[in-house]
Amino acid sequence: MSEMVGKLFGWVNSRLPVSNTFERHLSKHPVPSKVNFWYLFGALASVVLIIQIVSGIWLIMPYSNTEEEAFASIEYIMRDVDYGWIIRYMHTTGASMFFAVVYLHMFRGLLYGSYQKPKELVWIFGCTIYLAMMAEGFLGYVLPYGQMSYWGAQVIISLFGAIPYIGESLELWIRGDYYISGITVSRFFALHVVALPLVLIALVFLHLVALHEVGAGNPEGVDIEEHLDDDGVPLDSVPFFPYKVLNALVGIGVFMTVFAIIMFFFPEGGGYFIEMANFEEANPLVTPEHIAPVWYYSPYYAMLRAVPDKLGGLIVMGSAVAILFVVPWLDKSKVASIRYKGIYSKVALALFGISFITLGYLGTVSVTEVRKTMSVICTVIYFAFFLLMPIYTKYEKTLEVPKRL
Amino acid sequence: MIKKQLNILNIKLSKFYVVLGLILSINSIDAAEGGPCKDYGNCDEFKYSLNDMASLQRGASTFLNYCYGCHSLQYSRWGRVSTDLQIPEEIFFDNLVFDKSIKPGDLMIGSMSKEQSAQWFGVAPPDLTLVSRVRGDDWIYSYLRAYYEDSSKQYGVNNLVYPGTAMPNVLMALQGNQKLVCKDIPVIAKNGGEKRDDFGNTITKEKCGYLKVDEGSGELNKEEFDSLIYDLTNFLVYVGEPAKAQRERMGWYVIFYFLIFTALSALLYREYHKDYHK
Repeated sequence: MSEMVGKLFGWVNSRLPVSNTFERHLSKHPVPSKVNFWYLFGALASVVLIIQIVSGIWLIMPYSNTEEEAFASIEYIMRDVDYGWIIRYMHTTGASMFFAVVYLHMFRGLLYGSYQKPKELVWIFGCTIYLAMMAEGFLGYVLPYGQMSYWGAQVIISLFGAIPYIGESLELWIRGDYYISGITVSRFFALHVVALPLVLIALVFLHLVALHEVGAGNPEGVDIEEHLDDDGVPLDSVPFFPYKVLNALVGIGVFMTVFAIIMFFFPEGGGYFIEMANFEEANPLVTPEHIAPVWYYSPYYAMLRAVPDKLGGLIVMGSAVAILFVVPWLDKSKVASIRYKGIYSKVALALFGISFITLGYLGTVSVTEVRKTMSVICTVIYFAFFLLMPIYTKYEKTLEVPKRL
Repeated sequence: MIKKQLNILNIKLSKFYVVLGLILSINSIDAAEGGPCKDYGNCDEFKYSLNDMASLQRGASTFLNYCYGCHSLQYSRWGRVSTDLQIPEEIFFDNLVFDKSIKPGDLMIGSMSKEQSAQWFGVAPPDLTLVSRVRGDDWIYSYLRAYYEDSSKQYGVNNLVYPGTAMPNVLMALQGNQKLVCKDIPVIAKNGGEKRDDFGNTITKEKCGYLKVDEGSGELNKEEFDSLIYDLTNFLVYVGEPAKAQRERMGWYVIFYFLIFTALSALLYREYHKDYHK
């Protein structure tokens, strides 16, 4: 029997690089032997991606993408489909958790210089994933066709109208109608369940292939390739499988516990994960008192509102995401990790983190004069962190990076 | 060495929990916006009890007798309510379903047409299936108890929680006639005590906006009425999400599973960790 299996495996293996791929990317793929919890969020993001794809497929089955039935079909899932509520809450909680782990994953990148040469492409693929996720999240949010779906889409689509010359036609092209309607819902559905997931999966694949080509980083910023053993394997490395997989498994266990706590006990997340107004069916005649995006877009929403001009706001918002792509060329530091960078980098990163979280808060609440001033200040800090990076990373005193991990 | 490693892991995990805690320690948006209960001030706090079948059954009965004439529960089905609330179908249909052509699988679509009711009331009474999720249970519990006499309004009543509400006080016969009254309130001194004059009498100041029911004008006393509204609100919480009780029950098992999963994978990780950290 085992001989048969061995033969079959040999047959397949000589036609498909099974064991090669397994060794190259798993059992012999070297990863730094010493990393900290910040290095778990990439694995967690892929876990959430799988949760979203699987729960998404099951949500498509009972969902109806028409103007008349979209909202009712969500309630049908919540009530009449066996365990439909689990599938739906998995997807809504997953959306928020996806952004949570990706934000932490990106912050890890800034913390330990994970974008520095030769990892520029890994970083750029990552930023593109983030961009695709933002589009994916927005499209998905429109599908339940509640009040916030409708009015949130109204706000975001009308932003495109601020673009000179082509704005209005672009708006019309996106909506497919003169106002948001069933046509908009059904095309957003197609993009949300087919087009963008394909893009996301392709990008994640590229992100991982590029990462495996240049090797994973570590919190010390040590290049483990410098010290190899006789077989050419880095001395400070362990094989990805099983060592790092087991490490990640512990992280996944903790993460899933948190996930379950939210999903089963706080699925609405106090109105931040599922907004209360979205339990009311879309009504073009009634504007909600207070339109706020879900928490993961709110920092950019605060930036948008900080600028009095609509086009100006759009440019600021777009630049805030675009500037992430060029970070590898803004950082002129000789060292990668924050541990060995100078005081300017540390202060800059701390201020950046605080301003981003503050913007996130400001984006969820209504505007007052004080809050508007705060948004302006935080937006300035956000951009200053990136734009001044070539200066403060170049002229600060860095510490000596150790040779080994 | 291993112990030290574990300690570091512990510290790092605790940092991780702090970060997660920050993410989770969020108040509701409404709280940040000032009370949603308008002139009533802060809403009265409501704590649902979805395992209290008697309360849910009383709430369903109140709803079907007093509210369902105008308000539908269009996403909910008759049979589901009777099953979930453990009311035997026969009793349920004999006593609480007034249209005998209704079958258990039917949706509770209401008995009044939207067009006609919009003509009669100026606005069609909204469907209430999801009201507890849109407004929150605190809001409903406060709203239904905050009607007061106001002869300037169409139905002679107004509401502190929802000023200018289009709904008459349907439960007035039970509650009695509630009015806005003024009270003499002791003035508080800077030191936190009551302010007194030279003769030791408490100095008071008239403050208005208090709700008071005319004694004996309703069938129920205040406590009985509050408990009736409690049951009604509890029922609306149930209808807003029928799986809520099951969800919270099941959640404990899932969390328990993942805790064991985490513990076992941590032990396995520690064993393998020895390979490269001797």
